[in-house]
Amino acid sequence: MVEKFHAELNALKKEVLEMGDLARDMLQKSVESLKKRDIEMAGQVISKKSAIIDMDDDIEQRALTLLTLYQPMAKDMRTIACILKMITYLTRIGRYGKDIANLARELSTQPHIAKLVSIPYMCDIVCEMIEDALKAFETEDLSLVQDFSERDDTLDTLRYSIFRECLTYMMEDPKNITRCAHYMMIARYLERCGDHACKIAEKVHYMVTGERIEIK
Amino acid sequence: MPENNYVIETEELNLWYGENHVLRDICMKVMKNRVTALIGPSGCGKSTLIRCFNRMNDIIGNCRIKGKVFFNGKDIYNPNTDVVTIRKKIGMVFQKPNPFPKSIYENVAYGPRVHGINDRETLDRIVEKSLKAAALWDEVKDRLDISAMSLSGGQQQRLCIARALAIEPEVLLMDEPCSSLDPIATTKIEDLINDLKKKYTVVIVTHSMQQAARVSDYTGFLYLGQMIEFGPTKQIFENPQEELTEKYITGRFG
Repeated sequence: MVEKFHAELNALKKEVLEMGDLARDMLQKSVESLKKRDIEMAGQVISKKSAIIDMDDDIEQRALTLLTLYQPMAKDMRTIACILKMITYLTRIGRYGKDIANLARELSTQPHIAKLVSIPYMCDIVCEMIEDALKAFETEDLSLVQDFSERDDTLDTLRYSIFRECLTYMMEDPKNITRCAHYMMIARYLERCGDHACKIAEKVHYMVTGERIEIK
Repeated sequence: MPENNYVIETEELNLWYGENHVLRDICMKVMKNRVTALIGPSGCGKSTLIRCFNRMNDIIGNCRIKGKVFFNGKDIYNPNTDVVTIRKKIGMVFQKPNPFPKSIYENVAYGPRVHGINDRETLDRIVEKSLKAAALWDEVKDRLDISAMSLSGGQQQRLCIARALAIEPEVLLMDEPCSSLDPIATTKIEDLINDLKKKYTVVIVTHSMQQAARVSDYTGFLYLGQMIEFGPTKQIFENPQEELTEKYITGRFG
């Protein structure tokens, strides 16, 4: 019975990693579609929304079944607790990808106000954080998430610089307001995704050590 | 000198059955008015350890003990210790319900009678109080004179608890008290344990880790006669500090 439980727990961990890849992929592609003004790619991201919600439901159901049937203890319990929180964060990251893809569609009708630099850079940082958090979950190597606080600070700084930049464009010409408001929203979404990556790292830390930490 | 908050304390307790070294250097403290659970695989020494707490191992011929067991600060293995008094103060409930083949009333009144109480009114009061404390009174109050053997397993076990409580112990030792009971009877005993700690100190040996997690405040994990880890129950089951404990409670043993 114990072997069966661990086999099922390992399978569940694999599915969480797949879900993480999907969420990260949605976010990455949404910013790419924004950058390239590619409506088709944006559409592909939007169509994946139901897939990530299905994975969330499926993993939650299976995690609850494991809790009910086996009443796990110690690290096994912490792993399931971590999974239950992780899937919520990953779903939100995927949903932000979908939201950015929606905005990318709207923004695709005209050229960008300026060359997009900071938004793709923010996206690269967030995607790396998601990847490292997932890798830490898989390998239990916490050194991968050690500098998340600094990386999160960089994201905050970038979001603020995008905000300032947008303000300038809006003051220059009120016609830019709608488009700049969209850019600001996208920067905000990416910053939130960074926060979710930090939350995942916190849960992985709890899973590995049993200690709760807060990444500020 | 042990602190007042600890009812039972052991110091480097070792026990041998003949050549077999069963308990090795056990140091543990049982906190007053708390439930302490002992877990571990079969044969690890859990039952032997709680039997040391009221000198039940004395009746085993080839048993040899080294080290100290303090009850309220006094070494119970001191030659001057009165074993009867110790067993009055530290009651015990066993794995299988073992009521005497007597009426319900007589089962509970037996202990007080042995200790010299014969006044009927006093006995009535003790029987009612003990049965109430064991959460059995409402089920048997109209049939106290029927044989205890006609009760269900769960009721018999609660009767044994009432019998142990009748002599007003300070500590109640429970050796797998639910292992022969169904889930409903088990729930009743567990609820009862939770109530009992208001007045008594409980030490329970259990094979069910879930039960230990549910009922106890402190948990000790024994393996091959050694206390591998002892600490607050929440810590033992959420984040054990010893690898062996982690392996045992997650079933990754051997």
